[in-house]
Order: sequence, then structure tokens, then C-alpha cells
Amino acid sequence: MAPTTAQTQPPAEAGKLQRHEDYRLITGQGRFTADWDLTDQLHAAMVRSDIAHGHITSLDLAAVRSAKGVVAVLTAEDVLAAGYNPIPTGPPIKDADGNLANFNALPLLAADKVCFVGQPVAMVIADNAHHAHDAAALAVVEYEELPVVDSPATALRKEFSIHENSPDNVSLHFSHGDKQAVDAAFKKAKHRISLTIGSQRLIGAPMEPRACNAQYDAATDVTTVYTPMQGLLGMRGALCAMTGLEAEQLDIVAEDVGGSFGVRSGAYPEAVLAILAARKLKRPVKWVAMRSELFIGEWHGRGLTLAGELAIDEQHNITAIRFDDTVDLGAFNSYFGGFIGTNNLWVTMGGAYRVPALYMQSRLVYTNALPVSAYRGAGRPDIAFAIERLIDHAAATLDIDPIAFRKQNFIPADAFPYLTANGTEYDCGDFHTVLDKALDISDYHDFESRASSAREQGKIRGIGIGYYIEKSGAGGAPKDQVSCRFKSDGSLLLHAVTGPSGQGHETTFALIVGQGLGLDPAVIDYQAGKADENLVGNGTGGSRSLYGTGSAFKNLAGNIIEQARPFAAEALQCAPELVQFDEKADGGGTFHTAEGSSITLTALAQQQALDENGHHPFDCDADTVTGANFPNGCHIAEVEIDPETGVAEVVTYTAVDELGNVISPFLVEGQVHGGVVQGIGQAFNEEVIYDESGQLLSGSFMDYAMPRAGSVNELRIGSHSVPTALNELGAKGVGESGCSGSLPAVSNAVMHALRSVGAGPIDMPYTPMKLWETLRAT
Amino acid sequence: MVSINLTVNNQQHSLEVEDRALLADVLRDDLKLTGTHIGCDTSQCGCCTVLLDGNSIKACTLLAAQADGCSITTIEGLASDQNLHPVQKAFSDCHALQCGFCTPGMIMATVDLLERHPDPDIATVRKNLEGNLCRCTGYVNIEKAVLQAAKLKRGQ
Repeated sequence: MAPTTAQTQPPAEAGKLQRHEDYRLITGQGRFTADWDLTDQLHAAMVRSDIAHGHITSLDLAAVRSAKGVVAVLTAEDVLAAGYNPIPTGPPIKDADGNLANFNALPLLAADKVCFVGQPVAMVIADNAHHAHDAAALAVVEYEELPVVDSPATALRKEFSIHENSPDNVSLHFSHGDKQAVDAAFKKAKHRISLTIGSQRLIGAPMEPRACNAQYDAATDVTTVYTPMQGLLGMRGALCAMTGLEAEQLDIVAEDVGGSFGVRSGAYPEAVLAILAARKLKRPVKWVAMRSELFIGEWHGRGLTLAGELAIDEQHNITAIRFDDTVDLGAFNSYFGGFIGTNNLWVTMGGAYRVPALYMQSRLVYTNALPVSAYRGAGRPDIAFAIERLIDHAAATLDIDPIAFRKQNFIPADAFPYLTANGTEYDCGDFHTVLDKALDISDYHDFESRASSAREQGKIRGIGIGYYIEKSGAGGAPKDQVSCRFKSDGSLLLHAVTGPSGQGHETTFALIVGQGLGLDPAVIDYQAGKADENLVGNGTGGSRSLYGTGSAFKNLAGNIIEQARPFAAEALQCAPELVQFDEKADGGGTFHTAEGSSITLTALAQQQALDENGHHPFDCDADTVTGANFPNGCHIAEVEIDPETGVAEVVTYTAVDELGNVISPFLVEGQVHGGVVQGIGQAFNEEVIYDESGQLLSGSFMDYAMPRAGSVNELRIGSHSVPTALNELGAKGVGESGCSGSLPAVSNAVMHALRSVGAGPIDMPYTPMKLWETLRAT
Repeated sequence: MVSINLTVNNQQHSLEVEDRALLADVLRDDLKLTGTHIGCDTSQCGCCTVLLDGNSIKACTLLAAQADGCSITTIEGLASDQNLHPVQKAFSDCHALQCGFCTPGMIMATVDLLERHPDPDIATVRKNLEGNLCRCTGYVNIEKAVLQAAKLKRGQ
């Protein structure tokens, strides 16, 4: 059943809007998960642990079951009876000797023990949401409380542990690189510069609260699940793994998704339990999160402490880098936490620099806190931040110019492809040019005069550079596959599995196919995911939808032309090989012969009849196999601090990104804006705070400071393109780069400002209180 | 239960609602106007912003019963005769929306902002959008859209 009043036909002016997505979203006709109401649906509410660590000694649900409107209550016993599995623990990760990590999976509902505040204990299902929430509040859970591991530092003291298989609270001791070579380089080094940076726990906070609605059709044995997601296969794969259902038994609907940022890359307990309940009760079961539940119930991000050290020779060449990292997994291994704390921390740990020896180790630690998984960048911003802070810290310590120091150590443009000392191959780049462009746009060299004016006003200014390079998502699927359906009017519907959540997939994929076919993108629609299409591909994540799925769509245009060619030959009465296609012809993509007869692709498509299954003869598919690439860029922040109040303002911010070929410049800029401000949010305000008993102190938007309008005073965007040969579009990922550039740029600017008055360095977030106290202490 | 009369997007409704029902819930659940979004439970996010007798309010801060007799405009009622409101148009033109979840609230807040400040400077824009959160855009293009909408409304 459609969730809203019937969608009105978009007026003509809708076609002149910037994006395909815009008309429905600016008129209130988007269809987000909570907007779907299904006939005869029930409503669910969760009972969650309100302590951080303890054994459940009794679970009294009598009052819940007899409360008004309650239809059913699910507990761990129901999960066990159904044979459902816990939350996936993510890709296998191993130590240097090849031993697998200890894994501890989050059960869908706690059976005998809880390990973090917010852990699901029971699901209450009632005739309406009010009754479900009222009843859930009547649950009486008694615990025998256990000592709380409130932080990684507490965990590593090993006084008490969370899981039996990890008495030292460590899931994995990981290492990577050449320790001997690094130790030797440090022995010979003229200077050793070390710095520990913290990248605090954050919430993802997509603005759409998570929700789900599950409807079981006994006749077909198919459960339709309405849920926000990042891609069909990721969501369906996780749901299949947990429920034991086959892919064909799940139909997943996600029309509009209100942000994702990594935290929606896999399924959560509530959606799985809604499936269980819907199949059991034979009625749809809807659950909509309250925001306060998400602070304690949606994977956190970051939670990393990176201790880095540079070995530098007499001529200021960096001869080695080593890291010793601590990764806060939270209470369980959930999805990508382990991958972030291992792979994503070593893969670009040398940054944009030519460093002959690299070595890192990390320990993945359990704490009595919400599990950590992917959040925009998933380790990439953190390591870029650490490297670039180290570079600036070294330059400041050695009293050398941070620009000259960077340029001297950059991988030069003629050294690509460049194999890093720990085995990552950067395919292309031109770091000097990008840096120079950013210096120019930021008016870097005139900073001193601006700082001097600020000083006259009693303010403190700093300017900071962040040169990031990151490895965008390699993708877990064997290929990115796409398909299309022509309609009888010649318009086109595109399919792939990557699920948008604001990136503009509908607009960009239509543009790519439209360019290839000489068709107006307005007649091309995109739909993410259709279970019956059986397409394979990656979801939105690791910044890879454009260069993966987008490249497949570029190939699709070529396949459509070949599919249509015989029909064109027949219409134009000549041999297929003599028919030419001109996508730039006036009037749209056109087949023509040397003799001058022609027909447009649209006219040709309209002439063909659909078969009994509704298939058009031009319908076809395409794919591509492409792995990661290496977006990079130079961001420069200029920050002004008011020492009277501790308030810092990002006065100007320059982002020059090297993203290869850019398909939709305005969408790319939008991604950069969003990423930069998420980084600014982390740098200045955002922080998940637990107290020593494991209670969350930052549990609402009143306690957790989100970035607001005016977070950056003036944002200047520049670009420089070095197209990659690793995919058909020559494009590099953009989704995560904003965070990777802004954490170091803003932090280096703040440290520069503090250093100018003899203060710092300090850890994020640079709140007014912290800055004020730091300045007062000097 | 309580009986209330609401005029929503120029249509009159007589409703029986729970005493504790919030205006935001009644708009969504009873009137199926799901363009008004609920993004938090502490009245911080602004996703549920609507116009109540011409003034922007967060529909989660009001019991539906308190709105008895009031006239409400939601995002669905903003365009007239299929002509987009200048604020709607400016939001698209300036790419001021990505996922679109905060957008209805942002647009309704902006409509009210421009009634009070037809020619706002950037500081006024930022101050008046303090109560609306967006996680996608970094607000950069939202700020541009508000200024652009002001121009459009002034006929420039």
C-alpha cells in the first residue's frame, strides 16, 4: 500500500530541476521507510538493557504480555526456536601468524548476559506504537551486575573481561609491514617525531531514524522487508545469514533512504526480529526507532587511538613510519569494526609520501559499549588525520616549513604507478600540482597579514594543511552488474543493486547512459534493487557507486547500441556493420547509413513491440570488474579562535580534490561539502561520551553536538583531474574524501593557532570549553 | 480521546485523537501527510517543521489538541496549482538537498524566515536555521538556497 497521498504527476517544471530525485523530495512525496503503513500491521517496541554489563537473573514479562494491545513478545527463546543467527561479525581478520581473530557476535536478543547499554533484550508487538512502547516499559529485567570495561584503557588493564574467549579483552593483535626495516631506519634516524591522536567515537546520525516493516505472504513464502539500506545485496545477504531464509524468500524495498554514512551497510536486530514476528503472526510488523534509541542502538563510528612515529634523516627525508593503534570495537565484533581497525589503517599509512619502510600494529579491544562499525571513511579519515598531524607536528618541532617538508617527501608525479613500502599500489596522482592549487585558492601566502589583523581584534588565527590520499572501496561483489528495461514509449528504466541515500544515483546514472545514447536523461529512470533481476554488485559504500556501477552503465550504453543495431539495419535496409551510431546527432542518438538515411534510437525503440513478459528487444545488461582507486586532495582550513570565549570559527576552507574524471560536478561538490562539515563536526563538537559505569552521557541531540548552519564560513572548491585507468569512467571515489581532508586540515589549523600563543597540542573535539581552558592555562 | 478541528493545507478535518498525540503524529498517521518527517524525540532536528497560522513550529512540540482550530500548512500544501514555491525551487536549483529527509522541515523553516526577513544577510540565515539539522549537505548549499529564494521571492 502506498504510504502517502497519491503522488501527483510532476509538472513540466519538475524536468528542469537539478536532480531526478528532487521533485518528490521538495514536495513531501518521498517515500521513506516509516512512511509505509501496511494493512493490518502491528507495531514493535524494544526492551533494551539499561546497564552496561551483567548477567540477566530474571526476565519478567507478565505485565508486558497482559498490557493493553499487546499481541506478542519475542525473547531470546523465540530466536533460538526459530534458529536465527546473531549479527554478522564481518570479514575474517587474522594476525601476522595467520590466526583468526576471536569473534564475539551480538545476539539478536540477549539470552543470559548483556554487554552494553541499549543491547536488545526483548521485542514487544502490539496493535499500535503507543501500546507497544507503554508495554515495553513494563518489562522487569533483573541483573547481577558485572564490572564495567568503560574504555580501551580499562580493557587493556585486564582486571576483568567481557568475553570468555578473550580474557585480555583483545579480539586480535594485528600487525602489518616490515618491522625489522622500520626498526633499523629508526635506529639510524636523525630525528624521531611521535604523536598520539585520538579519533573519538561518533554517531552516524542519518536524519531519517532507522525503521522497518516486514510483511509475510504465506502463499509465496516471501517476506517483504521495508528498510533503509545502502545496497540490496548487503542488506539481503545479512538478513539471509541471520534468518536462514533464501534470497528468493526476501523482497527488499527501500525507495527513499534518509542518509546512511556507513551505519546502514548491514541489517540490525530489529529488522530480523520483525521478519521473525511477521512470519509467526502472519501480520505486518512495523518498527520505527526513536532517536534516543539510535544513540544506544545504531553502530557508532571511529573510536580509534593512533600512536605514530616518523623517522627523519638529516636532510628531512622521512625514512620510516610506524604506528601502534588501539581500536575500540565495543562489546561485539559487528560488521566492519575489525576490518577498519586492521586493513583500513595500514593500506594508506604512508600517506602521500615516499617512505621506504612502514610498519603498524593494532589491537582490537572489547569495551562495554555499543559496537563500532563503518562511519563515513571507516578508518580512512583517521589514518589521513594521523599522518598529516605527524607531518605538521614534525615540521613545527624541527622548525621547518610544512609545505616544503611535504613537497620534499611527496611521491613525485613521475613515480606512478607507485608501490608503497607495505604493498599498496597507487596508480596515479599529481600531489605537487594539487597542493599548489590549494595554496593559491586559500591565499595561503598572505596568511600572516590576516593573522596580524585578527590579533589586533584580540583573536588568534591558524592555518592548516591536510593532504589526504585514501583507498576507495575495492568492493566485495565479484562485479558490478546493471540492466535496463525499455518501455514502449522509448523511455528507459535502469537497474542495479547500489542503493542511494542522497548521493544522486538516479541523476548520475541517467546522465551517463543518456550521454552514451544521446538521450535526454529526463527519460531515464533508475531503480535500486529488484530481487527478481538477480543482479550482482556492490552497494553504496567505500565511495564506489559512481566508478563501479557508473562504469557498468557506461558499458550498458554500448551494449544497448549493439542490441539495437540489427533492428536499425532492418529499418534502414542495409547491413548491420554499415550502420553507424551518432550519440551527438541533433535530435538525439541516431543510427544512420553512409547514404544518409537515419532513424533515432528513440523512434526505433518505439517501433518495437514488448514481448508477453513485458520485455523490449533492446533490454540488456552490462557489467564491469573494477577494484579500488586512490582519490586524494589538499584541504586548507583557516581558523580563528576567540580567546575570550574559546569559540573557534572556520573562516575559510579550501578543498582541492583530485577525483579523476568528474561526471556531475555539482553532485561531487555536494559530497565534498557534506564530508568536510562532518569532519568539522568531529573536530569541534561531536563526541560519544560514556561514564565509568558504561552509561551514555551523550544520548540526545541536546547532549551530542551536531554541526549546524554556519559550521564553515566560506567554502572554496577547486579541482585537478588525473583520470585513473582503473575504470571505464576514469573516475575516483568522492563520498568519503571530505572527512579525510577536513580532520587534518582543521586540526592542523587549530594547532597552528594554539602554537602561536605557546599552547597545545590537544585532542578532538576542540570545544569552546577545551580551547578556553587550554588558552587560560598558557 | 479528544475531538479537534484542523485546517490543513486548506482542507478542514474533524478528528478524534489521543490526548497525548503530537501534532506531528496526527499529520502523519491520521492525515497520511508523510512529508512532515520525525527525526528526533527532543525537538532538536526540525524535520517536522510546519506552519501553524503562518508561523513555523516544530510539529513535535505541540499536542494535536493544542492545535485545535488552527490552520496548518505542510510541505504538501506549499506548491500551488503545481507551481513550486520559490523556496522549493531554490532548494533544487542550489542542490540544497541530498537524501531529502530534513528538506521539508528546512523548506518550511525557510518560508517563515523569509516572511520575517525578506532580504536576509548570511548571519540571519544561519541564526534562523539553528533549529534544523542536516547531515548530508554541510548546510553550504542550504544557505545559498535561502538567499536565492529571497531573491526569487523579491522578483529579482
